Amino acid sequence: MNAEQRRAWFTVSIGSICLAAYLIVAPFVGVLPAFAVFGLFGLAGLTPLIGRGEPMDERDHSIARRATLGGAVTSYMAVILADMGIWFYVYGWKGQQQVSVHTLSLVTLMACIVLFFARALAILALYGRSTEAESA
Amino acid sequence: MPEITNCIRRLRFEHGEMTQEALANRVGVTRQTIIALEAGKYTPSLSLAFRLARTFNRRVEEVFQFRADGDSPASRSTI
Repeated sequence: MNAEQRRAWFTVSIGSICLAAYLIVAPFVGVLPAFAVFGLFGLAGLTPLIGRGEPMDERDHSIARRATLGGAVTSYMAVILADMGIWFYVYGWKGQQQVSVHTLSLVTLMACIVLFFARALAILALYGRSTEAESA
Repeated sequence: MPEITNCIRRLRFEHGEMTQEALANRVGVTRQTIIALEAGKYTPSLSLAFRLARTFNRRVEEVFQFRADGDSPASRSTI
């Protein structure tokens, strides 16, 4: 397992811990306040420290590029879908509604989490396909 | 779908049963990349293709072969 894969596993672990913590905390403090646990995802910012200095070859760079693109596209789609939902809530359905200004920060948080999480999953998938058939 | 195949595995064995690790070190990539190349799951850059070919003292087209849809061995040999 190379440095990029270890970083991806770290990100996926942090994301899974956040989700589990949210599901545990939400019944006690409420659905919206429990979103605070996703602040733990900030720990994903430590990933560059994993495997620092380990060399990357052209295939590693190519996979990292494709995974980043995949993460960005997924994040973009998530934001657009969330915005469509908010728009529908405000102007459709029961007429004009209001949304909290905090919704903006939630959407931004979601966009960042989706970007990093989807990128990590894409890295694991792209490396995973070619790690069979190892022989000397 | 066009496909690039290679005979790196055979060439390694023809060159004193060179290990994937040794080949990886000589061309400056990781062993995982050599594994992916041999399995046909990664198409190398032109630069890496030349480095591989030089390692085996072959021309690039002797190491890598291009096969488009509909190509058969017979049709290739007539060109």
